[in-house]
Amino acid sequence: MRLRVNGADIEVEATNDEMLLAVLRRAGFSSVRETCGIGVCGACSVLVDGETVSGCLTLARAAVGREIGTAEGLAADDPVARAFADAHAFQCGFCTPAMVLTAKRLLEETPSPDEDEIRVAMSGNLCRCGSYVKIVEAVRAAAR
Amino acid sequence: MHSIVTGRVQYSQDVDLPGMLHARILRSPYAHARIRGVDASAVPEGCVALLPDDVRGYASYGAQIQDETVLALDRALYAGDPVAAVAAPTRREATEALYAIDVDYEELPAVFDPVEAAQPSVVLVHETAAISESDAAYFDLRPQSGTNVCHRFRIRHGDDPDVVFDDCEAVVDRTFRTAGAQHAMMEPHASVARWDNERLEVWTGTQTPFNLRGELARIFDLREEDVRIVCPPMGGAFGAKTFVRLEAIAAALARKAGRPVKVVLDRAEEFQTLNRHPAVVRVKLGARADGTFVACRIWCWADTGAYADCGPGVAQKMGFAGPGPYRWEHAWVDADCVYTNLPPNGAFRGYGQMQSTWARELAVDLLADELGLDPLELRLRNLLREGERYVTGEEMHDVHYAECLEAAARAVRWDEGRRGKGLAVLLKGMQTPSKAEIVLEEGDDGTYTIRCATVEMGQGARRAISLLAAEELGVDVSRVRFPDPDTDLVPYDTRTTSSRSTYVMAEAIRDAVRNGGHGRMEIPGGLDPDTGQGVASHHWHQGAAAAEVRVDEETGVFEVTRLHAAIYAGRVVNRPGAELQNEGSMIMGLGTALFESIDVVDGQIANPNLSDYEIPAFADVPRELTHDLIEHEGSEIHGLGETALPPVPAAIGNALGSLGVHVTELPMTPESVLEAVDARDKLSQGAGAR
Repeated sequence: MRLRVNGADIEVEATNDEMLLAVLRRAGFSSVRETCGIGVCGACSVLVDGETVSGCLTLARAAVGREIGTAEGLAADDPVARAFADAHAFQCGFCTPAMVLTAKRLLEETPSPDEDEIRVAMSGNLCRCGSYVKIVEAVRAAAR
Repeated sequence: MHSIVTGRVQYSQDVDLPGMLHARILRSPYAHARIRGVDASAVPEGCVALLPDDVRGYASYGAQIQDETVLALDRALYAGDPVAAVAAPTRREATEALYAIDVDYEELPAVFDPVEAAQPSVVLVHETAAISESDAAYFDLRPQSGTNVCHRFRIRHGDDPDVVFDDCEAVVDRTFRTAGAQHAMMEPHASVARWDNERLEVWTGTQTPFNLRGELARIFDLREEDVRIVCPPMGGAFGAKTFVRLEAIAAALARKAGRPVKVVLDRAEEFQTLNRHPAVVRVKLGARADGTFVACRIWCWADTGAYADCGPGVAQKMGFAGPGPYRWEHAWVDADCVYTNLPPNGAFRGYGQMQSTWARELAVDLLADELGLDPLELRLRNLLREGERYVTGEEMHDVHYAECLEAAARAVRWDEGRRGKGLAVLLKGMQTPSKAEIVLEEGDDGTYTIRCATVEMGQGARRAISLLAAEELGVDVSRVRFPDPDTDLVPYDTRTTSSRSTYVMAEAIRDAVRNGGHGRMEIPGGLDPDTGQGVASHHWHQGAAAAEVRVDEETGVFEVTRLHAAIYAGRVVNRPGAELQNEGSMIMGLGTALFESIDVVDGQIANPNLSDYEIPAFADVPRELTHDLIEHEGSEIHGLGETALPPVPAAIGNALGSLGVHVTELPMTPESVLEAVDARDKLSQGAGAR
């Protein structure tokens, strides 16, 4: 099937029952990561037509004809990614690309979120290293 | 920009070799069963099955006791024990091929409770206990023959407390329990193995590259130099990625298939691979009327599951941290590491010391109640001071327990009233004895390359060690490179555990700069397992926590409104990293305190996923989560990777205790809080009726 990822069309071999997570990883988008596999942790979050979805719960087939966004598509000077780097808002970094995408989506909808809004919007992304305090700081800094 | 933020960093699960096959593992559904036969004749062509008979010739292994084989051979010892494995061109085909393997099991009786399992004449999980030859068997082990106790550690300081308690004005005797927990690092275990003639190469997420090299060499009868371990950064580890995990299966399959093989666990399998020791800790403390501590008696039962792994060491640390940083005239400890038919338990951030800190610090508050003394005052009166001796006989230096505790108390405004507030203080050992080496190679272009076995797992070791090297070399850190550890290229190091790396590598770097680029650091010490005398820790990790809670007594639901940890850092090397480690430890401690529990039904884990097994999320972080990194001019660097975890559950437990709500079991669920509220109310009604 043909997918449009980060603005480029790619041809992938996938069956109709395969999830976007597995298909994107096979296609080399290794910033999309599996942790729970059941839509709880958010580590496989990607953007589909601008909305964050769990790659492990979204059929690849359902994303055909839509714009898929992963961290690989972030601009070199992406301000949200920059804010995460400046705030040291990560430890192992496994959850970070999905955190950045989720924060970008939040800031599109709510350009100046307060702490409660950040916590709610990011609640579907888990960080086992517990970098939450600095992630909130990063999102606030990106909003400024 | 940092490769972590852009997602370009490559973890072991991202390693991709030409011609590589993907493997899945077939696991026993029974907690204890005889394997009467394994029939893999229906496995489709193009798949390679690894069966017990394929690995019978390989040596057994184990970090501290040689009780593991590449696959279960004749008996499966827990629900989840690997019995076979399949490699196939895709993960999906490997998964499907598992269903084509038919195993004939005969179910056997099993044992799941560590106290019961420690008794004579129950199910014996292992018939014998051969001490491991690996570098992780660094102390004398004391398996109790004919029982499931694979190590018994004891402290015998002073007289038998049972005699002394009669002379104490206040005595507390209480038994506490802690649940099993999952590391739940975001990146699962992932290993890739490749054979190049008779040379084995493994890319794997491991905290113990040299232990792994030695073990694989023994298993496959190779020279150590013919095993190469490469360590990409890990997406979290927290102790789970220590010693041999998937590497032996990957290597055996790769040898049989004649192609590289990759194994990545799914989330449910993580719960069947390594967890934190559930423990039962009985604490009996005695004091004089003026609050002077006299006697301390502790019994620990650490449930190590079906294979010992490093459980003996965990039990020993649980035991020797048990008496806490206090002056005891008499202290006796018995800590048993006990086999059960549960998945193996091993290293977990804090290494047994959360369990005994939880028990002792709650008991200290109960003792304060008995004595009618303020718990802060009681602790300060008895905390160890500079130059005093611990119950192991070692002299304590660079001592800051009181400073940590007072900082924690200030953060919750202890002096303004203590209802709803709790404190806890701890000491935590650093791996002793141990060895570290580092090589600093100067390049032609003015750069330096660090050859060091310390692995990166999110703790910021690469940054901290690079900063230290740059400082000693007098160059900017941008000129320092620190490639992924590769045992072909880096010198020996004991392992990346117990918050030791920043400290030992700082010392090794200093030595390297003095000695032509090759530096060494060796820490002597160790304990006599029968008396607990010797040197438990080269220096001690010191810390305290304070918590404030608000309880809904109708439902038992409570909120941690404020959490503070004060940790002795000595000297901070990498401030953002140090802050993250402290915050992360506190948040992980919060999960342990409030909801993390592996639920077992008939030996099978009932919640092996991140929906039913909850880990802390944004919403769980207290509004006021603060911490101190205490530094002193000229002090040694003290590791910070885990010190803030163990005191958190105890501080929260004591905050509940300040309201008369005495919970003894972790996690502190709303149900258990409600039960404790009812018990308190019943007691006060009873007192009223009299």
